Amino acid sequence: MRQEEVLYMFPESMRSQWECTAKQADKLQEIRLRVNVPAAVLINNREWFLDTEGRLVDMPPHGAQNRPEELEQILKHLCQYSVYAFADEIRQGFLTIQGGHRVGLSGQVILEGDGKVRNLKYIRYLNIRMAHEIKGVSDVILPHLYNKSGQVLNTLLISPPGCGKTTMLRDMIRNLSDGTKYGKGVNVSVVDERSEIAGSYLGVAQNDVGIRTDVLDGCPKREGMMMLIRAMAPQVLAVDELGNEDDIQALRMASGCGCKLIATVHGGSLEEIKHKKYMRNVIEDGLFDRYLVLTKRNGRCEVEGIYDGEGERCLN
Amino acid sequence: MLKLAGILCILAGCIGLGGSKIREERCRVEHLRELIRIIKRIQNEISYGKHTLPEICHILSEYSDVLYQPHFRIIYEQMEQGNGICLAQVWQQEMEQCLKEIPLLKEEKYILINLPRNLGMPEEKQQAESIGQSLDLLMRRCRQAEDAYDNKSRMIFSVSLLAGIFLTILLL
Repeated sequence: MRQEEVLYMFPESMRSQWECTAKQADKLQEIRLRVNVPAAVLINNREWFLDTEGRLVDMPPHGAQNRPEELEQILKHLCQYSVYAFADEIRQGFLTIQGGHRVGLSGQVILEGDGKVRNLKYIRYLNIRMAHEIKGVSDVILPHLYNKSGQVLNTLLISPPGCGKTTMLRDMIRNLSDGTKYGKGVNVSVVDERSEIAGSYLGVAQNDVGIRTDVLDGCPKREGMMMLIRAMAPQVLAVDELGNEDDIQALRMASGCGCKLIATVHGGSLEEIKHKKYMRNVIEDGLFDRYLVLTKRNGRCEVEGIYDGEGERCLN
Repeated sequence: MLKLAGILCILAGCIGLGGSKIREERCRVEHLRELIRIIKRIQNEISYGKHTLPEICHILSEYSDVLYQPHFRIIYEQMEQGNGICLAQVWQQEMEQCLKEIPLLKEEKYILINLPRNLGMPEEKQQAESIGQSLDLLMRRCRQAEDAYDNKSRMIFSVSLLAGIFLTILLL
């Protein structure tokens, strides 16, 4: 990530304060802005605070506090003075900005009569999570994603949070879409419910998801899958974080339409997934041909194992 | 013969002077109508299209009066570059530049120049309504200008003609 990308997130009047942080752009993971407390940044898994001069210090400094109007100004700037255009995302508690970075938001919720979240007001907490696209992470697993005739296999990525599940999925999509030595490029459709895969900003994918990829951004998985099957005739359908029976039904329908599936689910192992009520039948019915389990060892994300449709290990 | 030519020149000059004043008034009304069209378009694009302001500038760079088009294009292009420039600032600069030569009153120009001050609402309906305040103000101004134009144009013409006759008599 470029230094300017970090600076451009802030209004011009505040940029001098962020110069020091911007120099660490490559290692910058997170910027947390909370009202009446100093800004905190996560660089290389280590937390730092910003003092009044914008220097990074390891203890919360006195006086360097974020004022409510500053946070509002930042939000306005991030939304290009068009906060209303991001209302649907803000309702869900996040928005994706240029570069595919995600801004988590918190404040006071405005509820509708039926108890649904209508919007957020007094947004006083911002968590800017930097998008770091890592190309090539899926290269090692590519041979296992195709059958002998070069067709894509239905694959389920299983991983606990923070083990690079979405990063892996994004790279798999890119590879399948562009084509590899194991199979030629195919039309991939992505339902990106939370804009995490493609990091779309105003409808344009900010991450490289391949030349034959169509992205449906901000749409619930079930509706999105159906829409894409009807509209885009995908050869491969990719979704992130299967979470309920509805998602599974939509997947089955997509599979019935002849689409190959690439999906992810939260979990530590194949065994753990089998115990999830909505996933049990999926595994028993053999909807997926490959199960890819990710894990974190010594702070590094890696592939724990690849299993075939029967649950037999293909790769250790 | 020379006297007749002189009389005609004086009359033409006076009527021309009055005519230019009338044209200026008509021009003001036309520009106010164009500003109303622009703000209405912004309002509609927000309510129905939910477009961001840079996108709306892109639309306006094609569908507004030729006088305004290049300025909206500049705002859109600058925002598209993604160099973190502040929209309110670019908008202000460009609109000031655009309205500099236009025969509008200061307060009328400020309605468009300061439009970003009304932005930042969390929902499109609320945002459109907030812009509606500027629209109401402009419409009121426009109505006043139209009435004034109707009344003034006849008066200016008469006054300029009378001034011409008066001058002619005086010089004779």
